[in-house]
Amino acid sequence: MNKKTIKFFDKIQNIDRRYIYIVVALAIIFPLLIPFNSPTYVTKPTEDIYKKIDSFSGDKSKAVLLSFTHDASTMPELFPMEVSVLRHCFERDIKVFTICWIPAAAPLVDYAINTAKEDFDVQSGIDYCNFGYKPYALRLPIMLGMGDDIAKAVETDSQGRKIENLEIMQDIKNYDDMNLVVDFAASGSAIQWITYARAKFGANIAAGVTAVMVADNYPYLQTGQLMGMFRGLKGAAEYEKLVDVFASYKSEDHPHGRPFSKEIIDQTRVAITGDAVPYKYKKARIGMNAQSVAHIMMIFFILIGNIGYFITRKKVGGKHV
Amino acid sequence: MFETVSKIVAAFLTLSIFSFLYKDNPFYKFAEALLVGVSMGYAIPLVYENVFLPYVYTPIFLSHKFIIIIPAILGSLYMFRFSKNLGWLARYPIVFGMGIVGMGVPMSIHSSVLVQMRSAMLPIDGINTALIFIGTVTILLYFFFSKAHKGIYGKFTNVGVWFMMIGFGASFGYTVMARVSLLIGRIQFLLGDCLGLIK
Repeated sequence: MNKKTIKFFDKIQNIDRRYIYIVVALAIIFPLLIPFNSPTYVTKPTEDIYKKIDSFSGDKSKAVLLSFTHDASTMPELFPMEVSVLRHCFERDIKVFTICWIPAAAPLVDYAINTAKEDFDVQSGIDYCNFGYKPYALRLPIMLGMGDDIAKAVETDSQGRKIENLEIMQDIKNYDDMNLVVDFAASGSAIQWITYARAKFGANIAAGVTAVMVADNYPYLQTGQLMGMFRGLKGAAEYEKLVDVFASYKSEDHPHGRPFSKEIIDQTRVAITGDAVPYKYKKARIGMNAQSVAHIMMIFFILIGNIGYFITRKKVGGKHV
Repeated sequence: MFETVSKIVAAFLTLSIFSFLYKDNPFYKFAEALLVGVSMGYAIPLVYENVFLPYVYTPIFLSHKFIIIIPAILGSLYMFRFSKNLGWLARYPIVFGMGIVGMGVPMSIHSSVLVQMRSAMLPIDGINTALIFIGTVTILLYFFFSKAHKGIYGKFTNVGVWFMMIGFGASFGYTVMARVSLLIGRIQFLLGDCLGLIK
């Protein structure tokens, strides 16, 4: 090994970390400013949630509950999932309920609903219903109570209206009807739904989690206790694509979207450059471009760092430095 | 107008937080303190309106359900945490809470233990089930500390260590992905929502 190479790696080993921050920032800024159409491969955990929700389309006796247990700090990962699921429900005429368990989640629920409903003719209390903020301390009685009677367990929605008087509640009584709960959280809160709503009442549970929490939730996905899972920004990007390709697809044969097909999703590449898809519905996919570049950069740094480590170790006689 | 001002404030606070990457400074400290204050300021009236009014005030004073006074007093005992002499009173609501947690134990055993165990006891009919079998057994052996990890036994426990390392690696990879996602979210806000450069 010549001296120049050793000197270079010595320098790299002791580089000021702030230079690395700049490189990371640039690796994210450029792909965002110059978007490109990278392929989004849809995985089974996301696909399963889509198929389950889609199976409720047009069925007034079925509904989906979206549970929000996070604050604004994890919005970049979870918010695109929430908007995509709401968009899917609005596109396919599926009744959807929302509930949140921490004060900071309350405005996020409103924000998600308002973002998704801009493009649809949907009404609160008829097509969707926000149960609003419910104290975390009441999570257990509400979870269990909804297994018997949702209107008694929740009582009022976010606007203070009696749940039982709302039109959306026709044919919706308990988990037999509100048959899918999707829990969006930056914690292991989906496990509570599994424990109380699934174990006792057989409700289908899916989780939308930040990437940090994916490994914790995987065992439940593997055993089928979670019927599907959105895994961080990637999961959000996958769902955005699914909704684009199927639920919001319009043609003479399919004026209200088309049914799911594995062949179609595998072969279709949705262009995210241009104005065909509104920005709010492709935010996760644009983000995944930057994510991919950042990952490649990190792998490069890890390789350089390790090569440098072994070279500098060799220099001092094979000892750890 | 309001939206523009709120975006400018949010962008300023985002940059103030990022300024910590260079070094600690008053802008970062200001933004950090503001976050804590605003979070509390937002939560207190919301909890008052959504918890105290519907679950305490209305049932007791308007519906005259006086039985609610008992849990209300029990909950109030939490405030004694701030007293040196009467701090022990705060243990009563905690004990009550623990009792409620206990109520969920049978269901937790079902979902977190029995169902999980059942799916770890599948017949070995492929590479995945074989890996699950080897991983589960060797990791369980690793955590059996009544026998020294030496000889053949030590070799088995080493396999368990490798399985755990792969698990931790996957977990760390996801953590990195999450942190990068958060940075992407903030930069999307600055470049997209504030400056309109992302379309």
